[in-house]
Amino acid sequence: MDKTKILVVDDNPTIRKGLSVRLRANDYEVLFAEDAISATAALVTERPDLVILDLGLPGGDGFVVMERLQRNDRLASIPVIVLTGRELAGNRDRALQAGATAFFQKPVEDSTLLFAIRKALDVSRGELRFDE
Amino acid sequence: MPTQPGSNLSAYLSHELRNALACIHQFGNILVDGLAGELTGEQREYVGIMLENASKIRSVLDSALDGVPGPPEKSTNKIECVSKLET
Repeated sequence: MDKTKILVVDDNPTIRKGLSVRLRANDYEVLFAEDAISATAALVTERPDLVILDLGLPGGDGFVVMERLQRNDRLASIPVIVLTGRELAGNRDRALQAGATAFFQKPVEDSTLLFAIRKALDVSRGELRFDE
Repeated sequence: MPTQPGSNLSAYLSHELRNALACIHQFGNILVDGLAGELTGEQREYVGIMLENASKIRSVLDSALDGVPGPPEKSTNKIECVSKLET
């Protein structure tokens, strides 16, 4: 059986590395993008099962990536978890309205992030409603 | 003095400090969880001290930059080293 594929979009290489160690230890396949343009390309070519998305990115921010995702029927159902260093004000509500499944500020507890990933995947596979 | 949420300074501090803190937090937990090899008891204790203090900084950031109230004893925005070690 194929591993669940997670696309990590963050311009900070150390954050990408840390997330990859944690996610691979939990048996996920991890792909990376460091800006909005390569993130959009990876979404189309790799069709990940879930995206962990930073908001502050070169080449257009995370909101641009979510907007492109939502406009593509084939990709719109991919769950997006926003993980950002940005402030809550003006970002959390906007991200959720833009289609994010969850919003976390850095740093996030690993257990919290892994739980949100499992839940988002269950919902996107139709195994669970998000309010369950 | 707390920065004004939504100001450029607040946005800059949030981005820079939260990313740096996330790196400390991520790799500290990777070490504690043995994902980079098993630690000795003493090593685990020291990394635990780092993580505990990173959490304290996070509480201060939440309070100062996002107006999230911290626990009463942490509401002074005064950062002191937290350690269970005997001095």
